[in-house]
Amino acid sequence: MTAVTAAEPAATPGPEPPLGAARRGYGADLWNAVLRNRKALVGLLMLLFFVVLATFPGQIAPYNPQATDFLPGLGPSRAHWFGTTAYGQDVLSQVIWATRQSLLIAFAVGGLATVLAVLVGVSAAYLGGIADGTLSLLTDVLLVIPIFPLIIVIAAYEKNSGLGMLVIVLGALGWSYGARQLRSQTLSLRTRDFLESARVRGERRIYVIVCEILPTMTSLIVATFLGAALYAVLAAAGLQFIGLGDPNSQSWGTMLYWAENNEALGAGMVLWAIMPGICVAALGAAFALLNYAFDEISNPALRMRRLDRPIDGARGDAVPAVPPAPDRILEVRGLTVAYATDGDPVIAVDNVDFDVARGEFLGIVGESGCGKSTLLYAITRLLGPPFAGEIMSGHILFQGRDLVSLDERQLRHLRWREFSVVMQSAMNALNPVLSIEAQMRDACKAHSNMTDKEIAARSREVLQLVSIDPIHLHSYPHQLSGGMRQRAMIAMALLFTPDLIIMDEPTSALDVVAQRSLMVQIKELQQRLGFAVVFVTHDMSLVGHFSDRVLVMYAAQVAELGRTRPLFAQPRHPYTRALMEAFPSIHGPNARLTGIPGSPPDLARPPAGCRFAPRCPQAMARCHEGVPPLHDVEGDLVRCVLYDKGAVPEPTLVQAS
Amino acid sequence: MSETLLRTEGLARHFRVGKLLSPQTLHAVDDVNLSIDRGEIVALVGESGSGKSTIARLLARVYKPTQGEIYFEGKPLSRIRGRRQRLAYSSDVPMVFQDPYASTNPAYRISHGIQRALHLHRRDLGRKGRAAETDRVLDAVGLVPARAAARKFPYELSGGQRQRVGFAQALAFRPKLIIADEPVSMLDVSIRIGILNLMSELREREGVSFLYITHDVASARYIADRVLVMYAGHLVEEGPTEAVLQRPKHPYTQLLLSAVPDPRAELGVADKTDVGEPPKVVDPGEGCRFRARCPYAIARCETETPLLRLLGQRHRAACHVAAADADLTAEPQLAALTDS
Repeated sequence: MTAVTAAEPAATPGPEPPLGAARRGYGADLWNAVLRNRKALVGLLMLLFFVVLATFPGQIAPYNPQATDFLPGLGPSRAHWFGTTAYGQDVLSQVIWATRQSLLIAFAVGGLATVLAVLVGVSAAYLGGIADGTLSLLTDVLLVIPIFPLIIVIAAYEKNSGLGMLVIVLGALGWSYGARQLRSQTLSLRTRDFLESARVRGERRIYVIVCEILPTMTSLIVATFLGAALYAVLAAAGLQFIGLGDPNSQSWGTMLYWAENNEALGAGMVLWAIMPGICVAALGAAFALLNYAFDEISNPALRMRRLDRPIDGARGDAVPAVPPAPDRILEVRGLTVAYATDGDPVIAVDNVDFDVARGEFLGIVGESGCGKSTLLYAITRLLGPPFAGEIMSGHILFQGRDLVSLDERQLRHLRWREFSVVMQSAMNALNPVLSIEAQMRDACKAHSNMTDKEIAARSREVLQLVSIDPIHLHSYPHQLSGGMRQRAMIAMALLFTPDLIIMDEPTSALDVVAQRSLMVQIKELQQRLGFAVVFVTHDMSLVGHFSDRVLVMYAAQVAELGRTRPLFAQPRHPYTRALMEAFPSIHGPNARLTGIPGSPPDLARPPAGCRFAPRCPQAMARCHEGVPPLHDVEGDLVRCVLYDKGAVPEPTLVQAS
Repeated sequence: MSETLLRTEGLARHFRVGKLLSPQTLHAVDDVNLSIDRGEIVALVGESGSGKSTIARLLARVYKPTQGEIYFEGKPLSRIRGRRQRLAYSSDVPMVFQDPYASTNPAYRISHGIQRALHLHRRDLGRKGRAAETDRVLDAVGLVPARAAARKFPYELSGGQRQRVGFAQALAFRPKLIIADEPVSMLDVSIRIGILNLMSELREREGVSFLYITHDVASARYIADRVLVMYAGHLVEEGPTEAVLQRPKHPYTQLLLSAVPDPRAELGVADKTDVGEPPKVVDPGEGCRFRARCPYAIARCETETPLLRLLGQRHRAACHVAAADADLTAEPQLAALTDS
């Protein structure tokens, strides 16, 4: 997901990108999202149709709905599209006039229930303690008692007290579901720093709730309103149908009630019985569609865009550009990965080549948004929802097999057994409700035919490998410290002694001491067991002591790839040099550092020519003339014109076509 | 420069944990005495769970101390009464948060927090004054052009830029001390230095003091005048930055320093590894809290909590062994030479 970043205005002195059109704001964004969503558009049009009917019934309806001027029980005709009732009224006119009450109930109940849900849900979550306990209990009780029978009982008692009472009863009983959702949403917001920042600023509690919390939950509040409105339409129609509304009111439910009493279906007045039902269903559908749409808008993960993937199984058989070498465990050739966006696809990994030898430790370094995580997900073939990236071209040869051409079943056979992955946050990667033992068992069962006994023995063994006492097999992830969780993750990755372990910043959540000990442990295990490691990180200093080679990525491309020792001693690419000089040291003189001015380019609009040129202190005119190729300098690769020997015979280009 | 701005006396904060019938007390912070001078940058260093963030929240009055007192400009915080005094303190001592992605409200333009701060704390400013001041603080943190930056929404900014917004918000208070709780730990290494430089510049230009809370010793060295090292709720060492880093007294500080990755150092796998974890300080008894991980622990460490002792010029450590060690007792004169 790293690729889909918004345009960056330059923060540090440097060339200013155009500021673009001023944004219209959060509300405008929401509105645009609604207009782009097909469900929302259809729902909105349907709702609009009913709103028009309800607003101008006098102009639209052909007759007075109450006038009993016509012959009773007529079928559909040009004069009476939906026929007439048993009392000689025009059904079409009745349906149109009845829209008003149904909509009124929907909006009034929706509004009332939403206000109650917001009040209860948000204040329960924000105030916490006893207030939360009481309000949540109330919410839960309302959720579990069968609401509709209760409404029937109340409505039966208050039968003749009119529309207002109906709205109050439905509203008072219909807020619990929304309150529940709003409460949990608020709970997740409560500890967010921006609320803490508002409190530290000295804002009053009521301001924090109304002006800081509520605006961030706009779509959820709208969804609550729509859900309550939908429920109100259906409940009101149901009540009126069983005769618990005012029988003289004009509503679809009341129409159904009279139609039913006159056995309209049997007596040839079919549309009298059917049309109100269709209207109820259509209005309900309008609210439901809008509700779905808002759900999608507030959870973009539900709405997936897909790129047409030019690679299919058949193409995978094509002969790779370079024949596989026996000492290489992983060969990545011309790998290009793109993300679908509203505009053009964003190329997050651009024609990347590299190898990993057996038992080698390769560090992949880059700033966030440079494509290193995308590269990792592509290699492990884990792209796919919610990572909307697609491999556009290239080969990933793992032990001679092209992973790009394998299907999910074949991949499952390789993953974990032949190569495994250690993710950034163990807390997210481990299942919080299963013990470590259970998770190891699941992994073993999914990837092998080991017996329970073998699994138990192996689980102990791998935990001991990472120096965790096997007693922790029965522990749950939250009972372990951060460092132990990461080591447990590595233990799980070792279950089948794979040949390659791919690690995505496994130490970034840890303190320096724990980080150091984990790195040392990984290195020791690697030397002992002989697996290869691909280690992705933004912190160059981390891989300095542990990797054999380092690949520096910048803006989706390989900037430099070389042996660790010479690379650290003498970084060649200006970007690598800038990265090396970007962090202070605890040794030597405490010199003032400058960091790297500006920020990495927006991958949707990468600069022409060298992508680092806009930030490069050594940039020259030539840098903007085209992406420089990777130059081979003493066996290491550098993408920089400084190493272009010009007149000398073309340097060895190691870029696969 | 040596006028004390804020100091704490025996500051402690405990949290109740455990079940109803077996209540336990988590000692997040115990008996901390620290002081921050006007215009000084003090780094508070320690592992997560060492109590650094609790201290930040105590100083920002998010938590109330269980014991002890905080004095700001000589006045005890416990005597603050009423909304006006509370607001006055929170504008003197604002806080910058760790997570730049969570510290700005996504529903508002980034000028929102600044405008609210001005609205609450500098009521004398009119609409125009507020707009001008918003531009000034955004400009001061390097978000230029300020007028355009103010109209951005948080998602349009990168992490580093959002963290600058955090500092701009703090500046709007005309603060005397900014509490920066791990302001760079969630940023890319390559842009951290920009934020650190920003803090130094703000100290130079605006005369603000900083309490810089971090687990990254190298960045503490880069900007701080003085370093405080915390371990398991206790302040275990404090002193001028170079003195602490070049001649660490406390075994924990030594461990911390040995773990700092340094690509400029000799390559090769480090010899010393420590798989110990910082303890959860639940109902601790007497004794040094580092003793279980300490290679130099002696019997006395089990029974007696070490207090901070002067071991160099302005350089203190809470360790029985360090005090007893012959080399370390010789240190004070050495330190005195270089500290001046």
